[in-house]
Amino acid sequence: MSSKMSVKNKRDLLLVTLLFTILGGVFILFRLFAFQGEASTANIYYGTSNNPIVTIDFINYRVLNNYDQQVPSEYTDNYPIIDEANRTVTLLGDYELNGERQIVVIEYNFGAKSVQIIQEQSPNHICSREGISTNFPLICLPNRIRVEFDTTDVDFTV
Amino acid sequence: MTNMRKMTLLANFLAIAIVLNIIESAIPIIPVPGAKLGFANIITLIILYVYSFKDSVSITLLRVILVAILSGKLLGVTFYMSLSGAVFATLAMGLVKQFNYFGMIGVSTIGSVFHSIGQIIAGIFVIGSTAVIAYLPIMLLLSIPAGALTGLIAQRFYIIWQSWHNTITEIKIK
Repeated sequence: MSSKMSVKNKRDLLLVTLLFTILGGVFILFRLFAFQGEASTANIYYGTSNNPIVTIDFINYRVLNNYDQQVPSEYTDNYPIIDEANRTVTLLGDYELNGERQIVVIEYNFGAKSVQIIQEQSPNHICSREGISTNFPLICLPNRIRVEFDTTDVDFTV
Repeated sequence: MTNMRKMTLLANFLAIAIVLNIIESAIPIIPVPGAKLGFANIITLIILYVYSFKDSVSITLLRVILVAILSGKLLGVTFYMSLSGAVFATLAMGLVKQFNYFGMIGVSTIGSVFHSIGQIIAGIFVIGSTAVIAYLPIMLLLSIPAGALTGLIAQRFYIIWQSWHNTITEIKIK
């Protein structure tokens, strides 16, 4: 019995080491090669929609409000709120505190072609802890708000 | 008598799993959407070995639903993610255990990998975009040590359980 256990333990060790090595390699390759290049636009989506509510155009330095976010009538503000002075876009997230949905504030930077989620409410604040992003998607799952980038890899198009 | 004992123990396991799940969700360790160490998975794994696949599935489902009710997030985003992850993990572990090739640590690690995959699949449906897949590599990588650790804990428990269980049966026979 004990020898059978040790055989299985050896297989376990092999499996864990092998999986860790393979997935570690995949992770490193992914970080090196995926989501590279400069972003031309950043699109902000809410819910399951694939039509961006706000498009941040890094090439023409514009913020386009494609359409208004559908919010229940008890919320008086109109979303998105685009604040060009502070360079922020505010949307209403899904996460509720005391029965009230909370806002998500996204800051953009034309010069750096980057986006950062600076304010949101969620259990672990994962999307705001992600920090400044220039091409990696920022996803606030509890708020169902996401920022995706359109990247044009300059090296290949030239 | 055995049925009564099993029922009591399963209820205790369920309580432990719920407590582990709640404690764990209060401590954010991994900076990835919905990723956790999966300590509640220890109970799923233990029941899978001590009792059966069926018991393991039912206790896991009860745990996910009860935790969601207790934290007031039933049918929320996190509920679907943990449900999907737990179902994928439990099914994968049940299947791998059937082959009887790997030990508890191996079974747990594979379960952990499938837990991440299940969560990502739920995430795709929640936001209607495949952008969540961007988080898959880091989640898969972190799931390996997490799965190995929970498997190790479950294995230690199972060894102690077996000796304890055998002593009790011996006493009854005498």
